[in-house]
Amino acid sequence: MVVLFAVGLYIVLTSQNLLKKIIGLNIMETSVFGLIVTSGMVDGGSPPLLGRGLEAPYASPVTHALVLTGIVVALSVTALALVLIVRVKRECGSIELDELLEPEE
Amino acid sequence: MSPNDVFDLLILTLLIGCALAIARLKDLAAAVVLFSIYSFSLCLLWVHRGAPDVAMTEAAVGAGITAVLFFYALTRTGRREK
Amino acid sequence: MRSALALVLVVVLAALMMAGVSQLPPPGEADQAVHRHVAANYLADGVEEGGTGNRVTAVLLDYRALDTYGEVVVIFAALIAVLLVRSAGGPRTQPPPRRVPVSPVVDQVIRLMTPFIALFALFMIIEGHVLPGGGFQGGVVLGALMILLSLALGPDRLRGALHTGALFWLRAVAPLAFTVSALAGLGLVGWWFALPEPGWMREFALVLLELAIGFGGAAALTGFFLSLEEDIHR
Repeated sequence: MVVLFAVGLYIVLTSQNLLKKIIGLNIMETSVFGLIVTSGMVDGGSPPLLGRGLEAPYASPVTHALVLTGIVVALSVTALALVLIVRVKRECGSIELDELLEPEE
Repeated sequence: MSPNDVFDLLILTLLIGCALAIARLKDLAAAVVLFSIYSFSLCLLWVHRGAPDVAMTEAAVGAGITAVLFFYALTRTGRREK
Repeated sequence: MRSALALVLVVVLAALMMAGVSQLPPPGEADQAVHRHVAANYLADGVEEGGTGNRVTAVLLDYRALDTYGEVVVIFAALIAVLLVRSAGGPRTQPPPRRVPVSPVVDQVIRLMTPFIALFALFMIIEGHVLPGGGFQGGVVLGALMILLSLALGPDRLRGALHTGALFWLRAVAPLAFTVSALAGLGLVGWWFALPEPGWMREFALVLLELAIGFGGAAALTGFFLSLEEDIHR
């Protein structure tokens, strides 16, 4: 999971393309989710569904709820970022960071 | 090594491979497809770790909606990264 | 040069984080802190207390309802931000890309699958408190269905079909439902977000909350998608 976080951060840092940066951000987010869910799992455990014939030990439901919230918020962030990027493209004609930062002639 | 460990290792290798490929690719459309694959493998990992709720969300959000939104943004911004 | 610097930075950071993560207790053992405190209580409470067998839903809608309230407000805020960005129109610098008509196979399959996908989404929303699934998952599937329909029918027809007053208010239904739940809990039971007794009332309240999250989430996703689509093709 740390490796995934590192790769995501590398994409965010080195890519000049704003869309690619958002993909990198998504990879970083999922790596953190992975760490949280992994910390809540139990070897040979079942999902936290009571009354369905599954037996203890159960995985921790708190971590699952946490990650569920995180995924949905990540989606909102991505959607907002994409709309902003499309707007940047329309106003400035480019989504490459180095071109955007060049002083206009 | 139990079959469980083998499965975990396989999925993790796939995840890291996808992430590295996304970092290297210049074709953004291919990167989005790879991100979709990445999300879906992650969803398998969630099921394996006893989190079906998270897996369902990941499958629908990561592999579905996010990819569609990215593709729509791509039609406007161009699929090649410079 | 820059990417080499970034690589060094990332490797150093990854090494530090790896050292930190290796200090965490090994995952998978049932007697760790994660499983002992609140999680153990939530699981031990069982079906009687929470009115639901799916403990994830119980945590989301009952024990930690305040956090979920924050989450739906975040989604709502993101939707408002997207709509604001869209409505701040400027002159466009390039012609919009051509709309490519979708192939008849895709079109027919979408039309065929629509009722089944809708049924599945509703099932996920309503049964979310006993089976895996719930408002968020069902809502996302419903939103995906709307995107599919926009492919088959064309976004303008979808927009026309959705443009009614009631559907407009659906975008705000999730935060509103949680506000009502918080106040009703305070008024009827005595603390914020408390669910009413007895069990069947509790279950009913949970289903209502799930429905609100599901339809609110679907409306928000459709809003994201249609805004992006309009921004691209306008």
